[in-house]
Amino acid sequence: MKNAENTKGRVLLILSRIVVYCILIFLSIVCLFSFYMLIINATRSNAQLQAGFTLLPKNNFFVNLKNAWTDASINIPRGMLNSFFIAACSALLTTYFSALTAYGIHAYRFKLRKAAFYFIMAVMMIPPQVSAVGFIQMMYKLKLTNSYIPLILPSIAAPVVFFYMKQYLESVLPMEMVEAARMDGSNEFMTFNRIVLPIMKPALAVQMIFSFVSSWNNYFIPALLLDKAELKTVPIMIAQLRSADYSKFDMGKVYMFILLAILPVMVVYIILSKAIIKGVTAGSVKG
Amino acid sequence: MDKNERTRRKGVSYAKWGYIFILPFFIAYFIFTLTPQIMTIYNSFFENYRDGLTQVGPNFVGLENYVKLFTPDKSGTIGMVKYFGNTLVLWIMGAVPQIVVALLLAVFFTSYRLNIKGQQFFKTVIYMPNLIMAAAFSMLFFTLFSPVGPVNQVLVAHGVLEKSIDFLSLKVPVRVLISLMNFLMWFGNTTILLMAGIQGIDQNLFEAAEIDGANSLQVFFRVTLPLLAPILVYTVITAMIGGLQMFDVPQVLTNGKGTPDRANMTMVMYLNNYLQTSKNYGMAGAVSVVLFAVSSALSLFVYNSLSSQYREAPKKRNRI
Amino acid sequence: MKKLIAMLLALVMVFALCACGATPSAEAPAAEGKVFNIYAWNEEFKGFFEKYYTVPEGVTVNWIITPSDNGAYQQKLDEALLNQANAADDEKVDLFLAEADYILKYVNTDATQDITKLGVTDFSNTYKYTVQAATDPAGVVKGVSFQCCPSALIYRRSIAQDVLGVSEPDEVQAKLDSWDKFNAVAADAKAKGYYMTASFAETYRVFSNNCSSPWVDENNNLQFDPQIEAWIAQTEEFVKNGYTLTAGVWDQEKNDQMFANGKTMCFFGPAWYFNFCMGNAQDPENGCSGDWAICEGPAAHFWGGTWLLAPAGTDNPTMVADIMNTFINDEEVCSALVANEAQFSNNMAVNAKFAEDPDYGSAFLGGQNDVAVFSAMTDNIVWENHTIYDQLLNEGLQNNLREYFQGTVDKETALANFYAYVNETYPTIVTP
Repeated sequence: MKNAENTKGRVLLILSRIVVYCILIFLSIVCLFSFYMLIINATRSNAQLQAGFTLLPKNNFFVNLKNAWTDASINIPRGMLNSFFIAACSALLTTYFSALTAYGIHAYRFKLRKAAFYFIMAVMMIPPQVSAVGFIQMMYKLKLTNSYIPLILPSIAAPVVFFYMKQYLESVLPMEMVEAARMDGSNEFMTFNRIVLPIMKPALAVQMIFSFVSSWNNYFIPALLLDKAELKTVPIMIAQLRSADYSKFDMGKVYMFILLAILPVMVVYIILSKAIIKGVTAGSVKG
Repeated sequence: MDKNERTRRKGVSYAKWGYIFILPFFIAYFIFTLTPQIMTIYNSFFENYRDGLTQVGPNFVGLENYVKLFTPDKSGTIGMVKYFGNTLVLWIMGAVPQIVVALLLAVFFTSYRLNIKGQQFFKTVIYMPNLIMAAAFSMLFFTLFSPVGPVNQVLVAHGVLEKSIDFLSLKVPVRVLISLMNFLMWFGNTTILLMAGIQGIDQNLFEAAEIDGANSLQVFFRVTLPLLAPILVYTVITAMIGGLQMFDVPQVLTNGKGTPDRANMTMVMYLNNYLQTSKNYGMAGAVSVVLFAVSSALSLFVYNSLSSQYREAPKKRNRI
Repeated sequence: MKKLIAMLLALVMVFALCACGATPSAEAPAAEGKVFNIYAWNEEFKGFFEKYYTVPEGVTVNWIITPSDNGAYQQKLDEALLNQANAADDEKVDLFLAEADYILKYVNTDATQDITKLGVTDFSNTYKYTVQAATDPAGVVKGVSFQCCPSALIYRRSIAQDVLGVSEPDEVQAKLDSWDKFNAVAADAKAKGYYMTASFAETYRVFSNNCSSPWVDENNNLQFDPQIEAWIAQTEEFVKNGYTLTAGVWDQEKNDQMFANGKTMCFFGPAWYFNFCMGNAQDPENGCSGDWAICEGPAAHFWGGTWLLAPAGTDNPTMVADIMNTFINDEEVCSALVANEAQFSNNMAVNAKFAEDPDYGSAFLGGQNDVAVFSAMTDNIVWENHTIYDQLLNEGLQNNLREYFQGTVDKETALANFYAYVNETYPTIVTP
């Protein structure tokens, strides 16, 4: 009897594994297809691209790579370093300060607590397009064009990230641990850095990835604020290639650059997503 | 919650730390975001635009911009209402499958019973579409589905279609494409969010449930879902806000035109139309205020109804 | 924070593979600025400038290039021009580039200045329409174009032979020199299994360049010129009868028609179009280079072109004038533009030289001397009845009517959508 149940359970488990793997493989194929197209397109010359899409690669990969990498007017390595710097700073600031704010609102009882929470929730709903133009004009007035400050510092205040951190704390943080730390004489700031942040590791890693990617791909604001060639970021350079004049227009180069631009984000993603998994095993949360 | 009450009763007040911790956020917010945002609301009561390089206004016009926004045109359509409907349809088409699939995947990945091999690979792959810029992603879809693109070629070659059709000029296919792209770009993202949430749940609970003889479904509905509630609420609300603010995918795919017949024009695209050329801060301000009001109402509703449904959960957990 | 950024930037500089090009460092001329800022949206002119213009010693040229994606270029330029009075001398706009489609937005304001006062006075060799385009309603000239872009009817010789029985430009022109003839030939082409054009908007510019009234009347009412109505009527007819494809001007569906196996007889475009944008036709395997020729077609028109405009408040007026004079009146430079860069220069004398040269010809056009054709047709190009709204009204009309031509919506809806678009884009225009 017990054996039969066991076998039934095993069969069920195997069946559900098959189903799950099928779903995963199907979704992976769909996701990879767009990358496949990107790679294929990066192997084709502008003329070949004009002739429409094919599934087979052409032999122009290294020509495109060389053209893109050595373009006289856009310096891709430099652009990638610039973008990396901005995205890394934004990601660090945004996760750290959002977690700090979330912890402040989650762990302490103070008069304006509710008000602060609802304020942040409300401003989360204002579309960013609304303030973009006013923001640009303000930066012009403050003479902050051609500076990375307007691209990095505002990320301290990210309502959406805050909200996630707050919800995460709500589901994982046992206040006992905080109290235990207090007993040991840890000051509040240290408690946050030494006890709370490690617990939030998965959440931090997740939001770091997201903010890194969105900063890396951000085009509109940087395009309007940066015009010195040595300060430009990857999306501006891609746009510049795409709006190149007829004699220099080369889609092969554009696709190659798009492909190159994805690599650093992938690396960051893989490193951080490991942190998500580690965060669990190292998680000090015990019931 | 009750824990904190106890802290306070002990007599040590930590309240000032609350203020200190949230201060940087508010300083940055006031400097960089709030000022332009307040200007937006203020602007919505003014006539304020550019005609070429000539600035017109700002002249106070009261509620005139709002009246204009809700005045039907000759055929009886109110633009704002139509675009709100479009946005809602596009969002539901993309977000519902996105959240359902993401929830399923998150459970798959975290289930130690299923013990999925190659997790790192799958997790990387499903997140990858999010790494491509929306503009580049749309470019790819554009070439795929163009009248001379491979999709048409295959369909014609296999006799499914008699002759190639311009998918991008038809309402339903464009909507499907937009939703599909939004789905592909964001389901990995949501999966990761939910996964991080599930992994934050005390693993002992799952083990305990299993020892008690609960099956997978029961574990999911009785343990995972309630404990995941805060993160799930977050996911639904941000997906909704993101959906109501949907912009880049339809913008790039339809070249900012919301083709066909403006049936894929979202509210933010409409807002953007006012900002692009004429810098019409008056009308754009009015659109944003309406958009803000609608999103707030919806989010508040979702937040309250979802949060209250699971309010019981955390307490139970504390007891274990 | 600033220090940190500075440090990282310094690091970045070390890592950067290519250093910036060395700039001449000598003494600057007295009284004029040492930094010359040029605003542009791509590098076309930068290339010519660096090859053919000698920058005065001590002056650093600073290119502020903002891609035109999402209207970013005009937005950037507008902010800079509106801020011109307050900007430091080295940050003022000294020269900026604009396209025909929106040039009036800048020409008709005080943001640009009279170039005749700066020393650009000789327009004797410059094509008339290029000067008119940069002239404000009071008759003040604010800029020049370094190229002239007359647009021709580009046809497939082999298809013309099949449809018309002739393939030489003069003979083909005689059979296509009015819209009536053009429309009649479209029916013949269809009968032989060809398309007359490959895009619903292929002929738009040919009509819209010859309007007898501007897009808006004196009370800012939107109005349709008879030429625009004629384009709509023609396109309706062409689409209904299958004389044209409904692709957009830049769509791949149209580009595919340029292959040797394409079935389309006519395209419209200037020198830059067939030299740089008809890649499929030039494809060594599937193309049909040499099977093409150009003629004036039913009506003279132009397409594109880049103007150099002089902003008010520049601190380098002499250099502005010098650059403009170089690119319209320096014979050597203009000749180089034609010979080396496949441009049709904005200098009649230079172009005439090439037009008369029996050895000059384009292999793509089967040896035809394109400069001669273009020189002959420029006299008929007019620049009148333009408004600052043209670019987006033309675009909007085409985009919205396309849905009607494709059969997705009826004509009323398409027009209603166009009006909605106009209201969003230009609050001052009154729509019907």
